[in-house]
Amino acid sequence: MTFPHHHPDDQLLIGYASGQERVGKSLLVATHLAYCPDCRRRVAAFEALCGSWFEELPGEAAADLDGLLDRMDGLLVAPPATADKSADAEAPRLFDVAGEPAGRLVPEPLRSWLPEAIDSPVDCGSWTELSPGVWLSAWQRTLAGTNICLLRMAHDAPVPAHRHTADELLLVLRGAFSDEYGHYELGDVAHYVAPTDHHARGASKEDCICLFLLDGDLIFLDGEEERRAG
Amino acid sequence: MPQSLADDSFGDLVRLVAQQRDRAAFAALFRQFAPRILQYCRKLGADQGVAEELVQDVMLTVWLKADSYDPAQASVGTWIFTIARNRRIDRLRKESRPVPDMDDPAMTPVSQATPEEAAQLVQGSRRLHGAIGTLAPNQSEVLRRSYFLEQTHEEIAEETDVPLGTVKTRLRLALGHLKRSMKDTA
Ligand SMILES: [Zn+2]
Repeated sequence: MTFPHHHPDDQLLIGYASGQERVGKSLLVATHLAYCPDCRRRVAAFEALCGSWFEELPGEAAADLDGLLDRMDGLLVAPPATADKSADAEAPRLFDVAGEPAGRLVPEPLRSWLPEAIDSPVDCGSWTELSPGVWLSAWQRTLAGTNICLLRMAHDAPVPAHRHTADELLLVLRGAFSDEYGHYELGDVAHYVAPTDHHARGASKEDCICLFLLDGDLIFLDGEEERRAG
Repeated sequence: MPQSLADDSFGDLVRLVAQQRDRAAFAALFRQFAPRILQYCRKLGADQGVAEELVQDVMLTVWLKADSYDPAQASVGTWIFTIARNRRIDRLRKESRPVPDMDDPAMTPVSQATPEEAAQLVQGSRRLHGAIGTLAPNQSEVLRRSYFLEQTHEEIAEETDVPLGTVKTRLRLALGHLKRSMKDTA
């Protein structure tokens, strides 16, 4: 078993641990955690750091907290015998997960957000072709200002030149891709800050499928613009 | 007040709540942690009324979920912090925090590690704890304000009375210090 080699940076992990990071990037971080025992430990260490800051907050009794304790008295009954899961507000599962071998399954929390298994055929209406061998999913969400969809790359197909005005993040869910910075496999995270130029292309026999996050607008350059931008 | 009690004493109180529904133990936990939950929510923008509702909500969760507290995973303070964090994200942001599902068959378990990887995991986590423990106080303080109190660099500069450039430098140094503890910098 090989664990991921490319991890979210500490800003994201501390932000996730503290709760400062918003839901969009937290979805990518949490899904990476499902693949990565190393980052699970790192997040636990950052949670402990936040826990120590929490314990250091001034503890002088604010007005009326004793009153609040008294008012809670009636609520302190034994918990129901079966764990109440409704508070977890799980999104409904819209497709059957039982058929897929665990290694092929997209882990939670992302799986519950997706409308169907990720490797649906490219001509079934779930994918929009960007350029030969490169597709974006019809499934798109905008969460707390972050645009989210899936990016799919056939073997050796280059993602067309684009520029972005803010951070771009990729999490590999299937196959592998490469760019000038590295080779990314299952569970790996690639993080490009705003003006970074990068050229990803599929690097596995099967299509590479990634969770694709973008803070700002994505602008694909046509040949003309590309020459000008380049 | 159990302020002077050691961490494991809080663990004992949680166990008393879990096993015996002990109200005195709960009241002791409440006196220790309720003011901190209140402060935490107030500092993150809740008004007094909402902050008190969050205190009640978090402490009720402590009462109901006391049996899920695992002293091997976290201190009581850290456990209560994570409950408070999740509740205030729900309440103040109307967002639900995405979390991995530990029972998910698609989760990569740590037990799949080769002996070499397992050793690296332990070592990496020891190095990170060491790095956190050796952060310079002013670097730890900018981390605390940026991530725990969610202050902007400008707010930190103003409240701590240091130039904006210094705030940014300290944050960069703090993150660099933590990053050096990673087992392989990808
Ligand atoms: Zn990782």
